[in-house]
Amino acid sequence: MKEFAYFPGCSLEKVGLSYHLSTVETTRKLGVDLKELEDWNCCGATTYFHVDELLAYTLCARNLAMAEKDNLDLVAPCSACYKNSYFTNKHLKEDPDLAEHINYALEEDNLNFSGQIEVKHLIEVFVHDVGLEEIRNNVSMPLEGLRVAPYYGCQILRPRKDHEDVEQAEFFEDLLSAIGAEPIPYPLKLKCCGGSLILSSREAALSMVRNLLQNAEDNGAEVIATACPMCQVNLECYQQQVNQEFGTRFSVPVVYFTQLMGLALGIPAKKLGIGKEIVAATPLAPYAR
Amino acid sequence: MSKGKRLLIIDDDPDFVEGILSILETAGYEVETAYNPKDGFDALESKQYDLLLLDIMMGRGAEGVMIARKMRKDPKLREMPVLIITGIREQIAYLFPGQPMHPHFVEVDELVEKPVEPDFLLERVSALIKAAEDRKAKG
Amino acid sequence: MAKPSFSDEIANLLHAGHGNPLRTCIQCGTCSGTCPVVEYMDHTPRRIIGMIRANLKDEVLASNTYWYCASCYHCTVRCPAQIDIAETMYALKRYSIWKHVHQEGLVGPVFSETFVKTILRSGRSFEPILATSYLFSSGARELIQEAFMGTKMMLKGRMPVLPPRIKRLDNFKRMVSRVIPLEADS
Repeated sequence: MKEFAYFPGCSLEKVGLSYHLSTVETTRKLGVDLKELEDWNCCGATTYFHVDELLAYTLCARNLAMAEKDNLDLVAPCSACYKNSYFTNKHLKEDPDLAEHINYALEEDNLNFSGQIEVKHLIEVFVHDVGLEEIRNNVSMPLEGLRVAPYYGCQILRPRKDHEDVEQAEFFEDLLSAIGAEPIPYPLKLKCCGGSLILSSREAALSMVRNLLQNAEDNGAEVIATACPMCQVNLECYQQQVNQEFGTRFSVPVVYFTQLMGLALGIPAKKLGIGKEIVAATPLAPYAR
Repeated sequence: MSKGKRLLIIDDDPDFVEGILSILETAGYEVETAYNPKDGFDALESKQYDLLLLDIMMGRGAEGVMIARKMRKDPKLREMPVLIITGIREQIAYLFPGQPMHPHFVEVDELVEKPVEPDFLLERVSALIKAAEDRKAKG
Repeated sequence: MAKPSFSDEIANLLHAGHGNPLRTCIQCGTCSGTCPVVEYMDHTPRRIIGMIRANLKDEVLASNTYWYCASCYHCTVRCPAQIDIAETMYALKRYSIWKHVHQEGLVGPVFSETFVKTILRSGRSFEPILATSYLFSSGARELIQEAFMGTKMMLKGRMPVLPPRIKRLDNFKRMVSRVIPLEADS
């Protein structure tokens, strides 16, 4: 049994509830035990670091220290939570002075960072820790014929974490193939969805979303799969605004990769949060139980 | 009183430093400057000063607090008087309204808020140097 | 030490606050060619770096470029001179927030401040507060769009009604005051 400390992050509480539900179901099915951090706090998304980096490290380190207490590696399904936790872990490990200062703050919550654990994105856990072979062996409802655009977004791959190929990643496609789906060529798969610009610079973000939707449609996608709640919301919930703004007629469902995995693993659609979409996920109907 | 006294300023704001530098130099102090926390702490470790003028918000955040905490741990540096001059309330108090917190990390320190009047600055610098000397003399 | 230029001031804000990586920029424009928001920026990222190096402080700070950075880090991973360009944009944001010198009418700074404030109060972020408080500064059209979408999401059970908060909030607040030395007025 593989066990991880689970940091769902603020988005998964409501806006990305389906991601949380499908994460819990799919990991359970594949023998991965997720233990939710008992009192996690917000990672800061894309805002703490430009207001005050020391504050940003402190808040992320609090979550890391709780995972350390359980002696478990931390897994985050949200790409922003993952990136912030990953780099806080890395910088604190590399800079003992910084770690000492952050620990002085953590004392107030009876916590301590010692740099004993690793931080992973959920998709990494499936691809590397569980393994594609194991996933393939557990598929009972292969998503044959379903054309899926694998949308990586930004922060899983960037900034560069380790030795991964930041320009030509293929693991998302491999995962989709393992569950029987057909990953389509998606040239813009690494381009940004606009992130928080959707609120702060709407015009710019809507045009970024439009490009991503157009590219998926041009390449014959029936659904777009994401691995981040911010990407999911931007691509799905703002589709109507894009249509209004640009006179387009997009109607592409945007689902979490864990929802697709769940269907392939034979988990009932409702348990995976399918049905909470604003753009109905009709192409999934033939595979749903 | 200021004759032969060496001061160090660690502050990231070049214009503010320029201002207090000329006040302190005119009064006869020998003053060195560092504009980021790393250069500042390197200077503290390699040279001898009679007083440190320390900013709080620098570099990645409140790094002035990091410096003061490091000084406290160093038996030699903890004797040095520190005048903290901060604009923190102006800089980030929108996050929550409040007073700058006096950290009290070293034996002799004091916190004042920017901007500072020249006479007040000179008076506090000389008072803190004297307080540190008195403390040392008493042993 | 000699009085630092604006370019040095920005470098001092970067991680570990030492050395000036912007000096190694070769003005190749890979960042601008990569940036997904470039057409909305007053100046391209390449140009902003050039302007920082030329110490054009007022022009740099008055631009919208760094507030339009979406933190996608595409420029960062592609820069042949290994300059962390996205971090440089963060440094500019920090500089402008600390000194209150950003362009008027931008939503970005309001968003950041509201976001951080929300978290310092509760430990968690809360979408409805965020959306409405910074959308007020953009315009009626965006507000209506947002309300419309919020309603739809509410019907699907995707909008929180009550603001969440962490359990050990008192510890959390004391922890924060150790890295931001401000004490609440009593």
